[in-house]
Amino acid sequence: VKLRVSRQTLQVLNAFLEDPPEWKHGYGISQTTGLKSGTLYPILMRLAERKLLETSWDASEIGKPPRHLYRLTAAGLQFAREGSRSRPTGRVSGAALGGMKS
Amino acid sequence: MSAVRQLTSKLLRGLLRHSSLSSNEWAIAMLRELDFVESDGAAIFWAIGCLAAIFKFSVRQSCFRLGDSGRRKDLMNGIVRRALGALSGVAIAGVLAICAFGLLQLSFRFSPSFAERTPWLPWLTLIAMPIAAFILAAVALSRNRRSIAVGILLLAIPLGTHFAMHLATHASD
Repeated sequence: VKLRVSRQTLQVLNAFLEDPPEWKHGYGISQTTGLKSGTLYPILMRLAERKLLETSWDASEIGKPPRHLYRLTAAGLQFAREGSRSRPTGRVSGAALGGMKS
Repeated sequence: MSAVRQLTSKLLRGLLRHSSLSSNEWAIAMLRELDFVESDGAAIFWAIGCLAAIFKFSVRQSCFRLGDSGRRKDLMNGIVRRALGALSGVAIAGVLAICAFGLLQLSFRFSPSFAERTPWLPWLTLIAMPIAAFILAAVALSRNRRSIAVGILLLAIPLGTHFAMHLATHASD
């Protein structure tokens, strides 16, 4: 199965690939990739839906509301690596998704 | 927190209340990030983007739920009906505005001294009367023909603002 991955999705995946184990905030990813929230969040939602991204709430800062955090799952990491290798076409093998279709 | 940011935050919170349950977590996530956006201008653009993201997500969820083609067709028909209603509202408001403008121009052409004697007339014919008509029409139509009412307001608000700004900047001429 071949999945079509947009340039913006690849940008997001690459931002996660910079430091895969680290949890990232939405605004931080937006600053790294230069994507606006209206483009970024639908991508994050789709990645999370497909279990390529895991989410969590960061409540470590006392007195401040918790922030949503994102990190690639093992499948997401494999998908991102494959995506960055096949960057020119933006086509990624669905094997990394375990056969999931877009 | 500045007034602009507070207003932006309130608008997003309002969206939170109306967003579907599945997108609620994401709406909260976007709202939280708003506090970390540096400038007020960037915060407004962030909020606008969030609105777009939630809207996209909700539409996608609705389409997903409306799996069978019959219900999807009904949904599409409803969207087309509403769009046509809004367009007709825009057209009605546009015709009314053109009529008001035309009447004013005619009155000045036939009686140039009339313009000097009545400096308040442009305000009345181009702003007060049409806006009153638009508001009355929008209120009257809001229950049964909501899309037309929205269409009227869609044109009335920018048009009224434009006329008011035009008259204010040319008042000294």
